[in-house]
Amino acid sequence: MIKSLKQFTKTRSEMVRGMAVAVGLAAVLALPGTGFAQNETPKVGGVLKIAHSTRIATMNVLNLSGPAEYPAIDMLYSGLTRIGMDNHPHPDLAESWSANSDATVFDFKLRPNVTFHDGTPLTSDDVVATFEAIQDPARGASARSVLTMVKKVEAIDNLTVRFTLTVSYADLPVAVAHANARIISAKALAGPKENLENKPNGTGPFKLESYDSSRMTRLVRNDNYFIEGVPYLDAVELHLFPDLTAQSANYLSGNMDVLLAVEQADYDRIDKAPGSNALRVASGRFVNVVMRFDQKPFDDIRVRKALAMSIDRQTLVDVILEGLGRPARDNILSPEYAYVIDSPEIPYDTAAAKQLLADAGYPDGIKIDLVASNRPAIRGQVAIAIKQMALPAGFDINVKSMPHDTYLANYWRKGNFYMAYWGMRSTPDGAFTLLLTSDASYEDTAWNNKEFDAIVAKARSTPDDSERAQLYAEAQKLILRDTPYIIPFFQDVLTASRDGVKGWVVHPLNRVYYIESVWLDRN
Amino acid sequence: MSDFVRHPAGVAGAILLTIIALAVLFGPLVAPYDPQAFHTTVRLQGPSADHWLGTDQFGRDLLSRILFGARSTIAFGVGATMISVIAGSLIGVTAGVVGGWIDSVIMRGLDGMLAVPDLLFVLLIVTMLGAGTGEAMLAVSIAFTPGMARISRSSVLSIRTREYVLAAVARGESQRYIILSEVIPNAIGPIIVEGTIRVSFAIMIGATLGFLGMGAQPPSTEWGLMVSEARQFMYRSPWVVAVPGLAIAVAAMGFNLFGDALRDAFDPRRSR
Amino acid sequence: MSLGYLTRRLFSVLLVLVIVSFAVFAITMILPGNAAVMILGEYATEDQLLALAEVLGLNRPWYIQYFEWAGNILQADWGMSLRLSLPVGEVVGDAFWNSASLAVTALGTVIIIAIPLGILAALYRGSKVDLGIGLFAYVGTAMPEFVTATLLLVFLAGSAGGYLPAGGFIAPNESFPGFVSHVILPAGTLGLILMAHIARQVRSEMSDVLASDYIRAARLKGLRERTVIRRHALPNSLAPAVAVISLDIGYLLGGIIVVEEIFAWPGLGRLLIYALENRDLPVIQAITLLLAAVYALSNLFSDLVIAALDPRVRY
Repeated sequence: MIKSLKQFTKTRSEMVRGMAVAVGLAAVLALPGTGFAQNETPKVGGVLKIAHSTRIATMNVLNLSGPAEYPAIDMLYSGLTRIGMDNHPHPDLAESWSANSDATVFDFKLRPNVTFHDGTPLTSDDVVATFEAIQDPARGASARSVLTMVKKVEAIDNLTVRFTLTVSYADLPVAVAHANARIISAKALAGPKENLENKPNGTGPFKLESYDSSRMTRLVRNDNYFIEGVPYLDAVELHLFPDLTAQSANYLSGNMDVLLAVEQADYDRIDKAPGSNALRVASGRFVNVVMRFDQKPFDDIRVRKALAMSIDRQTLVDVILEGLGRPARDNILSPEYAYVIDSPEIPYDTAAAKQLLADAGYPDGIKIDLVASNRPAIRGQVAIAIKQMALPAGFDINVKSMPHDTYLANYWRKGNFYMAYWGMRSTPDGAFTLLLTSDASYEDTAWNNKEFDAIVAKARSTPDDSERAQLYAEAQKLILRDTPYIIPFFQDVLTASRDGVKGWVVHPLNRVYYIESVWLDRN
Repeated sequence: MSDFVRHPAGVAGAILLTIIALAVLFGPLVAPYDPQAFHTTVRLQGPSADHWLGTDQFGRDLLSRILFGARSTIAFGVGATMISVIAGSLIGVTAGVVGGWIDSVIMRGLDGMLAVPDLLFVLLIVTMLGAGTGEAMLAVSIAFTPGMARISRSSVLSIRTREYVLAAVARGESQRYIILSEVIPNAIGPIIVEGTIRVSFAIMIGATLGFLGMGAQPPSTEWGLMVSEARQFMYRSPWVVAVPGLAIAVAAMGFNLFGDALRDAFDPRRSR
Repeated sequence: MSLGYLTRRLFSVLLVLVIVSFAVFAITMILPGNAAVMILGEYATEDQLLALAEVLGLNRPWYIQYFEWAGNILQADWGMSLRLSLPVGEVVGDAFWNSASLAVTALGTVIIIAIPLGILAALYRGSKVDLGIGLFAYVGTAMPEFVTATLLLVFLAGSAGGYLPAGGFIAPNESFPGFVSHVILPAGTLGLILMAHIARQVRSEMSDVLASDYIRAARLKGLRERTVIRRHALPNSLAPAVAVISLDIGYLLGGIIVVEEIFAWPGLGRLLIYALENRDLPVIQAITLLLAAVYALSNLFSDLVIAALDPRVRY
C-alpha cells in the first residue's frame, strides 16, 4: 500500500493567519486524508508493543536524534504546532497564531488549561524558556538550525507568546513544528540535566512509567491530555532488540505489535507474513555523496558531473532499496516538496563520464577514497555499489567503511568525499538552509554560492506565492547546475503493524507518529 | 610421526587444511568472477550453472568471494597467531631461561595482561586502533601474546630440568648452545600445538569482530564479514550465510583437529 | 594454602586492576571524538560540541579527569554515564546481574553436562560414543557464536520453532519460568562451545589418569572398576577440568557480548560495546574493571579449588 503525499496547496497567507481551533476530534487529529473507515469506532484500551533496534539513549527532546527516540517523544511532548500527514502545521499547544503583514512578528495563542504530566500548568513562560534553551549552544539543540531567524521570544501574557524575527519568515509555524522543538516546562529546564534525559515531563498524550534503555520503555495514557477522548491505548511499550533477526522474529511471532523500521531486505517477507501488514511511505530522505568544492578533484565541475553520470540510479533503487524508493536526480527536493521543479534525467553513461574526466585533465581516471559510516548500513552499501558502477568511467574508488564514531570524529564535515544521510525536511527552505547555504548549520560541501544564498534569503521573506515559486525554481536550477551533492535516490519509510492494530502510520519525515490515534482491535 | 598418521582425527584435519591451503594459494587464480562485480539480474540465487555456489545480495558470485576471502580470513588467523607466537616465545623463553627477578617482573606483567579476557582486550585495542582487518589482526596478536608467553615459559621451565639439558650443562656446553640446541627444539612442540589451535580461535575472533563492525570492513571478502552481512538475507537465500559459514567451519575444524593430533603426537605420555 | 599466598594474590589482583584502569583511560583519551560528538551526532555545530563537552567535563586535562575519577572510585562513587546521564553504578550494576544470571546458567549447565560427557568419552575411548562426543565437540567449536546464535534463533525460536522466545529478557525475580524460557537459547549458545572445550579436556585428562600407573595399581589391588573410577580417577582428573573451566570463563566473558546482542539480553557485553561506541568513559572503565576483577577472582577461586582437590599442589 503506497501512500502518496499531497502537494502543498495552501497559500502562504493562509498559513500566516493560522488555523482556527477545531475542537472536534477529526480536525485536530492532524490526520486529514488518512481517517478511519466511517463505520469503525475506536476501542479504548490495550497495550501496544513496538519493537525497535536502536537504543533510546535519552528523552532529552532538545538534542535527541535516535530513530526510536522520536516516537517516544512524539508521545510524551507536544509542540506549538505539529506537522500533519498533509505536511502542513496544525495546532498542537498553540490553538491559533497570527503574524504581522511582513511576517516578522508572530503571536501564538496557547490552549488554556493544559498541564504537564507533573501537574504544573502550561504557560507562555514555558514556551519562552524552551526556545531560549534551543538557542543556547550548551544545550546542543538540533532545532536551533531551523530557528536562526528568531531574535526574541517573549511572553505577552499567560497564554500568548510573541516571536520577533530578524527577517521575514512566513514558515515559522512549520519551523516550530520541528520534532526537537517540543515544549519543556521552565521548571524542568532549570533543573538538573539528568532529569531532562531520564524524567521527561511533557504535555503529550502519554507519560513515562518506566524507562530502561537497555530493554524496554513503557509509557501510559495521560488522562489529562488536552484533547478529549484520546489516546485510546492504555499503554505503549517500546522494546529494544539490537539484532534485526531477533527483532523481526518477535514481530512475526506476534510477540510485538509493531515493527518500527522494516529493513528493505525483509519488507516482502514481513508484508506477506500472516497477520502482518507492511506499510511504505514515499519520503524525501536520502543518502548523498559529499564532494567538497574546495579540494581536488571535485573542485572541477566536470569531475562532479562525471561521477553523477557514473551512477546507475535505477539499479541502486532495485538492488539496495529492493524497489522501495525512487531514483533521484541530485535535486535535494523530492517530488513531495512544494515548489519542486522537474529535474532532468541523468543517464548512466560511463563513456561520456570518461570523456569528461579526460577533459578535466584525468585521462587515466581518478583514484580516490570514499568514506562511509556504518550507521545506517545503507551508506556503505551505496558506496560499494557506486564503486562498481563508476569503475568503467575511470573512477577507482576505494571504499573505506568505518564505525560511526570514527566517521563522526574524523571525516564528517572534514573529509572531501564521503557518504552522508539525511531525513526529509518540511519545506524547501528547511532543506536548503540545513545543508546548502553558506551558513547552513551542517554545511559540508563548501559550495558557498552567493547567488544561491541570496535567492534563499529573498524567498524566505517573499509573501507572494508565484514569486516564491520562481525563486525556488532558480535555486533548484543552481543546484542542478553545480551538483553540490549526488543524491541517487529517495528512500521510502518502511514500517509494519499486525492485524488488530488500527491507525499505525508513519509520516515521511519519519519523526511523527500520531500514536494517540492508534487503537487495538483484538478479537 | 607414524603415530600421527594413524590418528584419524589428524588425517581429517590435514585434509581439511590442505583444502584451505589450496584455496589460499590458488583461490584468486581459479575464481571464475571478480569477487566484487555485481550481476544484478541474478541476485540472491542458489547454485546454478553460472554461479556454482549462488550469488549474494548484490549478485556477486559466492564461489569467487569465498576463494578470494580465503586469503584474508586465513591470513588473519595465521598472521595474528604467528605474531603472538614469535613475540610470546621471545618473552616466555627469555623469562624461563634467565629466571631471577626479570622472570618475576615479566610474570607479573603477563598475569596483568592475562587478567583481561581475550575478546574484551581485543575490543579495547581495536577501538583504540580503529576498525579494519590490519588493526584487528594486531589487536588479536597483542591479546594472544601473554598466553603464548606463559606457555613457552612453562615449556622452557619444564625442559630446564630434563636429563639432556642437565647432561649438556654437565658437559660444560655454553649457555647459548644449550638454549639453541637443547631447550628451544624441545620447547617448540607445545608452542606449535597451542599456536595451531589458536589459529581457529583467531579466525573466530576475526569473524566476531566483523559481526560487531570492528574488524574487516565491507566490501572485504573475509568470511566472517560475509556471514554477518548475509544474515539479513538468509530468508531469501540460505546459501548466502551457509557458504561462508561452512568455510569458516572447515577452517576451524581443520586447525583444531590438526592441532589436537599434533599435541598427541608430540606428547610422549599420550600412549594409544 | 598459606595466608601469605592468599594475601599476595589479592594484592596482585588489586595491582592489576589499577594498571588496567589506567590503560583503559589512556586508550579512551587517544580515541578521536568524545561523548559530546556521539551524543549530538551529525546535528551538531562546532560551538554546540564545545559547549556540551564543557558541560560534560571533557575539556579538562587528562590527569585531572583521571585522578578525579580515581578519587571518586575510592569513595565508591562511580560517576555518571556521559551518554545515559544515569549513575554508572546503577547502569552497570543492573547489567552485571543480568549478565551474571546468563553466565552462571550457562556455566552451570555446561558443567553438569560436559563433565559426565568427558568422562564417558574417556571411559569408552575409541568407541562410537567417544567418536560421537568428539564430533559434537569439534562441530561445536567450529562456528563463531553469532552464527550458532543465529541458527538457534532461526530454527528454535519465534514463528519457525514457536517454542522458545526469540530473544528478550525477564529477570529471575520477576518471573522464574519467564526467565528460564528466555535464558535457554542464549545460555545454550554460550554453552555449546564451552561444553566442547570442557568435555574434550575432561576426556583427555581422564584418559591420562586411566592409563596411569596409579590406576593400574588400584585395579591390580582388585578394587571394583566403579570404585576405581569414583575414588581414584575422578578426583585426579577434576583438577585440570577446573583449570579449563576457569580459563573458559575468560572465553565466556567475551562470548557473552555477541550473545547478548543477538538475544537482546541487557547485560554487560552489550553495554560495553555501546559505551565504547559512545566514548562513555565512566561506563567503559567500570565494566572493564568489573570484568577483569571477576576474571581474576575466578582464577584465584579455581586455584583454590584445585588445591583442595589435589593435595600435591602446594602454595
